[in-house]
Amino acid sequence: MPREVIRVAVVGVSHPPANKWAKRVVRPSALMAELPALDMGALMSEQGDVRAYYMGDHAVVLHSGETRHYIDNLRAMRPSLWVSCDGDEVRLVTADPYEGEAMASDPERVVEALAMPRAVVARIEAFIEAHHVHEEFHKRKRVPATSQHDPRAPRVLSDNEKWVQTRGKAGLPPKGAG
Amino acid sequence: MSTASTAQAKPAKSEYEMLRAQQWSLIASLLVAPPDSDALSALAGLTGDDTALGQAYGVLADTAGAADAEDVAREFFELFVGVGRGELLPYASFYLTGFLNERPLADLRRDLAMMGIERVEGRFEPEDHIASIAEVMAGLAAGDFDASVLGCGAAGEAGFFARHLEPWAAQFFDDLAVAPSARFYRSVAEVGRIFTDIETRAFALEAKAHRASGSGVAKS
Repeated sequence: MPREVIRVAVVGVSHPPANKWAKRVVRPSALMAELPALDMGALMSEQGDVRAYYMGDHAVVLHSGETRHYIDNLRAMRPSLWVSCDGDEVRLVTADPYEGEAMASDPERVVEALAMPRAVVARIEAFIEAHHVHEEFHKRKRVPATSQHDPRAPRVLSDNEKWVQTRGKAGLPPKGAG
Repeated sequence: MSTASTAQAKPAKSEYEMLRAQQWSLIASLLVAPPDSDALSALAGLTGDDTALGQAYGVLADTAGAADAEDVAREFFELFVGVGRGELLPYASFYLTGFLNERPLADLRRDLAMMGIERVEGRFEPEDHIASIAEVMAGLAAGDFDASVLGCGAAGEAGFFARHLEPWAAQFFDDLAVAPSARFYRSVAEVGRIFTDIETRAFALEAKAHRASGSGVAKS
């Protein structure tokens, strides 16, 4: 199964808490296709109380079996990568919208769909071009009962449908006798 | 013991009804088991007039006279027993739904239970076998059984016939006539086919007369 790994840098933004009981939370807010020479968790900018941190570079793994999902992603109004975090740590970055939305169903996690950088769009397009296999959608329908797919037994059993003795007395030696 | 109700339970049936009962029992007895040589020679003695049914009986008599009991038993095995399955499955459920032991059997069992009829102990054939339904028809014609207890739309002999035999019996006899192993049973199929046809039309005529009379009592 061909796969391809793209690395993207994640930038997180932390806003001041809305009330005095809440804590600061870093939420992913932007992606960069070029990886900056920074350590994970480095403060990138501070504008008033709003701080931007570098949340490290992460792998986006493309699988050839999921190209259909990537096509759906690229056809959307804004192609996105889904970044899923546990606390301040990025756990998963994915280009598969269905996987991303499945992550978002967990209320313990912070999941953000962030705009996909142009360079990543180009690489995913190339990956789709190379590996996508088009599968025709086939809507199954009821087969009429009169067709040959009828599960019912024949009303009259014809001679060639009957069990006949072909071994033993009838000619061929019994099974296992050489 | 000397009440009128016991006498009324089984009214005397006309000769015509008794003849119908005999035809149904003949069909039942030929389809439940192969006839032995005595039965075959009795069948060979049958004669018929030049009506379709009479001619069919003539053919049956000729075939029975020429047939050997052992061959007929072999034929019966090929047709109704077989290895795995016989050439035919003579069950109402199979003919009406395509599968055995389906709803038609349940309906029949409910009707039989209401009529107070049950399988003889030691018989394992489901009740929707054509022979057992024919036997019930024979009993109804002879007045041994009473179908007037059945629910609305199915009451009486005509209702029982219309529910359990008419939808598929003709098809079954047609299949029996073309089954690859059928020799003796081809003539049985002919008799059965014509007789069910007559019964179907007779019940239709009776229903028509019943409607024309405009009351619940048929004209006599």
